[in-house]
Amino acid sequence: MNLFQFCYGLIHWLVILINHLWYWLGDVLPGALGEFFTDIGDLAASHGNIAVFAILLEVLIFVIIAFVNVLNFIWLDRKFMGRMFDFYGPYYVGYRIGGWLQNIADGMKLFVKEIMTPAKADKAGFLLAPVIFVGSSFLALSTIPLGSNFGVETSAHDTGVPGGALIAFAFFAIAPFSILVAGWSSNNKYTLIGGMRSAAQMMSYEIPLLLTVASVFLLAGSFSFNGIIDAQGDIWFAIPLFLGFIVFLVCLMAEVEVQPFDLPEAEAELVEGWTTEYSGMRFGLFMMTSYLRGYIGGALATALFLGGWHGPTLIPEPIWFLIKAYTVFVVIEWARWSLPRIRVDQILNLGWKRLMPLAVVNLLIAATFKTLGWF
Amino acid sequence: MWINMGPQHPMTHGLWNLRIKVDGETIVDAEPEVGYLHRGIEKLCENRTYTQIIPLADRLCYASSLTWSHLYCLTVEDLMGLEVPERAEYIRVAAIEMQRIASHLMWLAAYAADLGTLVGFIYAMRDREVFIDLLQALSGSRLTYNFPRIGGVAHDVPPNFERDSLRACTYMEKKLDEYERLFEGSKVFMMRNEGVGILKKELAMNLGVTGPPLRASGVKYDLRKDQPYSVYPELDFQPISLPDGDCYARYKVRMDEMRESCKIIRQAVQKMPKGKWRIVAPRNGPVGTGIGRVEDPRGEGMMYIVGNGTPKPYRLKIRSPIFVTVSAAKQMLVGYKVADVVAIMGGLDMCIGETDR
Amino acid sequence: MSEERVIRALLDAFPTAVTDYKKLKAGVIRARIERRELYRCCQFLRERLGFEHVSMISAVEYDDRFEIVYHITCYGSCLLLELITQTPKDDPSVDSVSSIWGGANWQERESYDLMGIKFNNHPKLERILLPSDYLYHPLRKDFKG
Repeated sequence: MNLFQFCYGLIHWLVILINHLWYWLGDVLPGALGEFFTDIGDLAASHGNIAVFAILLEVLIFVIIAFVNVLNFIWLDRKFMGRMFDFYGPYYVGYRIGGWLQNIADGMKLFVKEIMTPAKADKAGFLLAPVIFVGSSFLALSTIPLGSNFGVETSAHDTGVPGGALIAFAFFAIAPFSILVAGWSSNNKYTLIGGMRSAAQMMSYEIPLLLTVASVFLLAGSFSFNGIIDAQGDIWFAIPLFLGFIVFLVCLMAEVEVQPFDLPEAEAELVEGWTTEYSGMRFGLFMMTSYLRGYIGGALATALFLGGWHGPTLIPEPIWFLIKAYTVFVVIEWARWSLPRIRVDQILNLGWKRLMPLAVVNLLIAATFKTLGWF
Repeated sequence: MWINMGPQHPMTHGLWNLRIKVDGETIVDAEPEVGYLHRGIEKLCENRTYTQIIPLADRLCYASSLTWSHLYCLTVEDLMGLEVPERAEYIRVAAIEMQRIASHLMWLAAYAADLGTLVGFIYAMRDREVFIDLLQALSGSRLTYNFPRIGGVAHDVPPNFERDSLRACTYMEKKLDEYERLFEGSKVFMMRNEGVGILKKELAMNLGVTGPPLRASGVKYDLRKDQPYSVYPELDFQPISLPDGDCYARYKVRMDEMRESCKIIRQAVQKMPKGKWRIVAPRNGPVGTGIGRVEDPRGEGMMYIVGNGTPKPYRLKIRSPIFVTVSAAKQMLVGYKVADVVAIMGGLDMCIGETDR
Repeated sequence: MSEERVIRALLDAFPTAVTDYKKLKAGVIRARIERRELYRCCQFLRERLGFEHVSMISAVEYDDRFEIVYHITCYGSCLLLELITQTPKDDPSVDSVSSIWGGANWQERESYDLMGIKFNNHPKLERILLPSDYLYHPLRKDFKG
């Protein structure tokens, strides 16, 4: 059974329950008023209305899953970092479950901090930048299905958002725009430098990223996630497209701005980079979205290269998908805490001169495989 | 456009300001500004007796405080013409070399953290604890020790000191190999450090740069070997010098110096003779002058004292190595990118306590 | 190059200006020189005798004079020369040696800042450790805080 059918059924049941009220009012009240309420009841029970609410409910479910996963990611990040550095991670808050409640404590702390807006900042840009950043990340997130029946769909037989992976990457790539707006509108020399560096870095790593994704589209023959994952039934795309997988991971680290690519928010030079002037929960939103984008990246890597939700049938499909996404995240974290920061001109050097030729070679390999008829 | 990096900045360890003029991302001009931590120590010393100045000298550079109080005691012993017993000299040398390793480890921690490897920070601080514990057993405190006295040291070594120091040296030599694999095995670290901040030999000598930056530019001059003091003539070690003059050379010089310090600690602790550890110094300083020079972990430290027959010195002048090295910042920074400022200034190992006095 | 050779060379080059000399201990020499010949003497030390590095420039105030003490090092022969000049109390000014040794630049600024010694021909004689609008020179004996 589809997620859409499940949500449709739920909303349908709810609407029937509330329609009892409208129809009763329609019977009791005289004349035109009564007809008004009967019309409302009919409108509520129509297919289009229920479908819209069903889709909203699906997106809500995905957002809740994303929030829980982000909390898990932050906890995992801090524990893993702690163990690599020879200390315990979060320990006391939530003592018996290994310090998982530390994130909630940090979130509450950020909520009660004073939110300051610099006097000369550009108000519209300053207030809009977090909204765009978070909004585009959630949009990208909601297009990725977690199982063959568990994704945001628009009808009982549809398989996912039209456009699939292409829409996901398009939303993913709106972020540099919001970073630039945030850096510029804070009215601060340092944040401006940080924002520009970030925009340059993200732009130059989009291209190898999209080239590797293009090679996956070529092999799979379709844009939608379900099509790509079904094409990986025999063999995961990471094995023939190994070069592409590595390039994808490196570009992902540059897009999500983890060390070694986190020069835009390098503490040692620019205090906190483009988020310097943000305080309180606005800053918390930026931090959370950074981890959310890490999750999205891991999910995309799983869907495109690691076979999505294919796995032994004892574990339900979404769990298998999440396990693979977490593994990709752990590998990224491992690289993150071991390597120093790369200087900005060396980052751009790496993106344009080394990764792009490799991505093109990968595309050629994919084209070869396709013409040989192995896929 | 002039950018102010500091005085409140995570990169600047201590309180100083670096004004740089940039053209895009390239540095065109640089001007460091110090003086935010000036405490007037030289004037304070004119109102205290000779023994009361020892804790003040500790607080000159709080990252390597034993060196400065030892330097002060050497200067006063030169003024008074005292002969320090041998056991005291060996204890002083062992403690100073442990302090040198602790200071270099603190430098490594800050340097690694600035470059982005938080791993290096945690590991270096963890290993520094080993030596800080030893020094705590020796003198009673962890950061400013107040341990040397005019005429020797404050008290004898604690029991099992020799066994613990030998264990610490073995541990440190293993860890140094691990650090070399962690840092030099990482291509990113080498990219950030090689060829960055080159300081040529002639310029280094003229500008008054001393210590590891000078030895990394090709001048093989170490005060412990070339103008030896204390019992250094009887100990066997090599000064390290590399010809390149870039940040990687400065890093390598300090790592190898830590290895040499382990060797010195081993010899000092094993050769320590029995005997007195302190002689009582006279109360009044004679009329005259005295000089002391040591090889501080950061360069050449020097003191000049003038006595006038009273229990308090007439004038004490302190030469701080970083004060002169940082004035050479302009030559090292011009032509490199803003992101290199961290690597270059971090490689100089600034401690503002001794710069501003 | 031994200590005696340095003293011999100084006496030969500046017979009237060097007023006193003494070998303090192994590798350390002291010489007194008159302030009118200081700049030429430092040039001579650097170019002829090879003293590449000025370690410390101190200023001491006595009852009737200021004394400025230069400690100059020779890397090649591991020698330290303590060169002392004195100036009268009402005119504490000396020629600057920062064009000979770049390392003297900030040290002379510090002596100006704390003790009030003026260095002629210094490229930028400003206060360095104290705020730039401070009125006094704290290390002088008549400054009681």
